[in-house]
Amino acid sequence: MKGKRVLIINRGEIAIRVAKALNELGLVSVGVWTDNETEPPHLEYCQEWVHLSGNNNKETYLDIPKIMKLIEDFKIDGVHPGYGFLSENREFSEALAKKGITFIGPNPTAVYKMGAKDISKQIAKEAGVPVVPGSVGEVATVEEAIQIGNEIGFPILLKAVAGGGGKGMRPCANESEVRANFAAVQREALSSFGYAALLVEKYILNPHHIEVQILADKKGNVFHVFERECSIQRRHQKIIEEAPSPFIGTDEVTRKAICETAVKCARAVNYDSAGTVEFIMGHDKQFYFLEMNTRIQVEHPITEEITGVDLLANMIKAAFGEPLDFKSQEDIKIQGHAIELRICAEDPITMLPAPGKIVGFETTFPQGIRFDHCIYPKFAITPDFDPMIGKLIAKGFNREVALRKIRNAVDGLIIDGIKTNIALHKVILDEESFKNGQYSTSYIGTVKPQEKVAIKEDIKAFMLKVAAIEVNQMGGIK
Amino acid sequence: MNQEMKDFALDVEVLPGKVMEFTHEGAKTKLFLRVLAGKNYYSFDQVAWKKLPALGVNEALVSNSEMYKVFRGYKPSGLNKGGAGSLITQMPGKVVKLYKKEGDKVSIGETVLILEAMKMENEIKAGADGIIKSVNIKEGQALEAGFLMVEIEEKGE
Repeated sequence: MKGKRVLIINRGEIAIRVAKALNELGLVSVGVWTDNETEPPHLEYCQEWVHLSGNNNKETYLDIPKIMKLIEDFKIDGVHPGYGFLSENREFSEALAKKGITFIGPNPTAVYKMGAKDISKQIAKEAGVPVVPGSVGEVATVEEAIQIGNEIGFPILLKAVAGGGGKGMRPCANESEVRANFAAVQREALSSFGYAALLVEKYILNPHHIEVQILADKKGNVFHVFERECSIQRRHQKIIEEAPSPFIGTDEVTRKAICETAVKCARAVNYDSAGTVEFIMGHDKQFYFLEMNTRIQVEHPITEEITGVDLLANMIKAAFGEPLDFKSQEDIKIQGHAIELRICAEDPITMLPAPGKIVGFETTFPQGIRFDHCIYPKFAITPDFDPMIGKLIAKGFNREVALRKIRNAVDGLIIDGIKTNIALHKVILDEESFKNGQYSTSYIGTVKPQEKVAIKEDIKAFMLKVAAIEVNQMGGIK
Repeated sequence: MNQEMKDFALDVEVLPGKVMEFTHEGAKTKLFLRVLAGKNYYSFDQVAWKKLPALGVNEALVSNSEMYKVFRGYKPSGLNKGGAGSLITQMPGKVVKLYKKEGDKVSIGETVLILEAMKMENEIKAGADGIIKSVNIKEGQALEAGFLMVEIEEKGE
């Protein structure tokens, strides 16, 4: 494996993380730069820099023929896709396989099987993994909906077959609510999607988003690296993650059950890399398969922190057919608690992306903080890419210590010139419901921490900004 | 970034001795500055110090959810360079002799005070014709570099 040339077809903090792992393992990290980002900070960690021409993602990070040309021109042995872009693209992994290039990720068949939602659910079902119970196919009448409701238990969700984005969906707590809403949802489905057909699904009130990290090799070994709780979300995107899950807490029976179920899922598709099986969990701790992400995930660091397993390095080793850093499931243990905050260039109140140029960046962290980021003063956040610019991670002896450390760390993170969600994170970390670990995916929608973000900073904060500009103009404090 | 920019009335004056003075709605606040290990630090009371981010010049101040125009109403009055009428220490030193007091008339080249620095006595001379507006030092006082010792109000052109 040593000396193999690996192309990182990604950018930002994950490209840095991948390059670090490649360098550490003695491989050659090859980074790319594009015409709409000519000074990407990840190149600092890459041993070789190649130009991927193009001004938008379609011409660069998503252009398979162009990337294949680079691979040929620069004698690349392997590719790491990071997350997003081509990380879960079957066409890409097949193109690489055809040329004998190592794709650092799962085999193309696993990507395909877990990529299509209906296929993945079917596979999970066949493997004996619980999926959200509901109707098989369309439900034509009210009576049929009620009958299914009685079978699977209320509350149920009436859902347009063609639905999405929260439209054409209505929860019903009992029979009479089904009678009252059935026709209305049908009308809504027809007007929004032009198709009135409905599905019935069990409605899970205030669910928890819990996912299990999988690490597998090419020899058929599949391990789980425990779970993460990612219930703090906005627009179905996570902003705070924890490992282990505070909701599962000390319930080792549930922990073992969900982790072993995830391994079952991964085995069902002959999984052979790092991946994540996502579940939703109700208040009764019943969990149901949601989907499997066949890539390294944004929130992988918290798992690394509590287990000491280097997921990136092991993912790379697995891809090249090398043994993993451990031999058995018993070698992997949880020690302590970790929390991650996603630092995004966005308005902390509306939570909408806010591009701009970073003009000031300082960190003063407590002991043991990890900050995976791509920030530097003068770094421009453009609308071309995801607004996430860093991940602040704290590990503690227990959840209380991790909370204490992350709260102090976020105070010591100063990013100026752009709007960031740092102010929102501070509000959430101070909320009692977050501190005691009692939160679900409806947290942002119901607790509304964004409404507690002070719009105007205090006058002293402004003074500091003006002072900093002044000092800069003078060429430093003299 | 089509956002309405708001004005924020905050005046700043750079004083000698690594001090900035802010005026906001009539209230004055002093901010003290220091350099440590290549980084800039600030303090409001000279006891509690925190890092000052190395900000470049941007057109807007960004608060949590609002953006404010950086007005150019304030002007650097020079920690490192003063006008001809401002006598500023170029290096740390000690005031040996003070010849003038507030309200005295001076002319260009006239010695205002003697400052001992690097074991040498230096005659500090007026850079402009005018009247001494303020004297911020006493004989025997030890000064850091960048300290505004005497200000001379220049006569009209």
